[in-house]
Amino acid sequence: MADNKRISRNERLRQDRLTFYKEDIDRIDKLLAEFLRLSGAKCALLIDKEGHLVTKRGELRTIDIDTISALVAGSFAATKEMARMLGEDEFTAMFHQGERDNIQLSLVGDRTLLTILFDDRTTVGMVRLYAGETAKKLADAYRDVVERPQQDCLLGDEYGSEASKTLDKLFD
Amino acid sequence: MVQINFALKEVNCKVVYYGPGMSGKTTNLEIVHQKAPDENKGELTSISTDGDRTLFFDFMPLDLGNVAGMRTKFQLYTVPGQVYYNSTRKLVLQGVDGVIFVADSDPEKMEENLESYANLIENLAEYGKDVRELPHVIQYNKRDLRGALPVEEIDRQLNKFGVPTFEAVACTGEGVFPTLKTLAAMVLESIEKIDGRHQRRPAVRSAGAAAKVAGSGAATAAPAPAPRTRPAAAPAPARSVAAPAARVAAARAAAPAPRRVAAPAAPAAARAPQPAPAAARRLARPAAPAPAVASSLQGFGVGVILGLSVALVIAAAGVAYVVLGQQ
Repeated sequence: MADNKRISRNERLRQDRLTFYKEDIDRIDKLLAEFLRLSGAKCALLIDKEGHLVTKRGELRTIDIDTISALVAGSFAATKEMARMLGEDEFTAMFHQGERDNIQLSLVGDRTLLTILFDDRTTVGMVRLYAGETAKKLADAYRDVVERPQQDCLLGDEYGSEASKTLDKLFD
Repeated sequence: MVQINFALKEVNCKVVYYGPGMSGKTTNLEIVHQKAPDENKGELTSISTDGDRTLFFDFMPLDLGNVAGMRTKFQLYTVPGQVYYNSTRKLVLQGVDGVIFVADSDPEKMEENLESYANLIENLAEYGKDVRELPHVIQYNKRDLRGALPVEEIDRQLNKFGVPTFEAVACTGEGVFPTLKTLAAMVLESIEKIDGRHQRRPAVRSAGAAAKVAGSGAATAAPAPAPRTRPAAAPAPARSVAAPAARVAAARAAAPAPRRVAAPAAPAAARAPQPAPAAARRLARPAAPAPAVASSLQGFGVGVILGLSVALVIAAAGVAYVVLGQQ
């Protein structure tokens, strides 16, 4: 019985919260840096399907990261719907071509997106080749994050009271 | 799904404005964008048709700033309200942490409100979420409409789970911030619950501080009348319905002002309502009366024992006096 309770609490945490520790991000950053070195792409972002940025590597001028993350997630969600209509589970890659910059999106596992920005210093073939390999390694890293036992009380004791003060300050 | 990222030192939450077409969801977001301080807001991005209808979603990041060492951010989305955009609406709901349902006060739109709310419940269920467990509030928008439905009537039909409600005239800014503030507080409170610390410390101060509609400043200092609470239509699952019910009581107790909003000249945010600390304190310490009662009972018991002892001594002295007198 106690075991069941623990499982259900753990499952609940998994459904409601996703936590990344510094060592998770270090591991992912290392993979992204290696990918950028091999592919010659400018920038790589890992974005979850809810539209939240997980981490980024490379040069990223003045792009609004929050907005690009939301749009990437939205765009991928829309293509998933298209795939479903065609009888596919989902498309695992997408490519947007611009005059100067391009974006390649690759699905990592079942809930994260590897977003790559690149220009004419490399080719789409190189980017796709290394993106596929990197996506597999990232999926392993991500699986470890999602499947490990969840812990309680990660945020500091003062989080709630400070959040309340911040809301008062912002909205009043 | 809340994302806690210790490497970036960030907490990310997703909030969605939901409701029937043209009820004012995008207007709410536009007002938040206009009124929020520059350092707290990102760009407002709309994927809409040539008219003013949302095609996919509107999006705006709202950065609360540093909260106990964690940069806390809300990603605010709207959904397209039209019935035929359900597939895109469902996509936007993925991973949602809180919902603001924007209802239209026009009597002719009541059916659309009900359909849209039912659609919200259905779409959440497809993601395995129960609306009663998800932080959500309802905003009764367009209160300045001539012939707007009485709030009590919309409430009776729409607010099936007794969640906090707000009157608003979104196009003037009335009620926009109080609605968002309360929902934001509920989402942060739910993070604490998820985090497993909810039982150990007071809840995030929430609805009571914000439930008062912006145009109702006249009643700011008035004592709270009996709260207009209505039991939720369905029994609450353990995790959260009980909490919103308590918040509703506090929210309504804190908002005794007349519900109808007169169209104001000044935007609502400029006259944002003051927090109601009394209500908030009630939220934070729901069990406060219990120790007081226990302590008065204890005092009463001690008094009775002392009284009996004194009476016994007097009686004994009396008996002794009589016996000695007889001798």
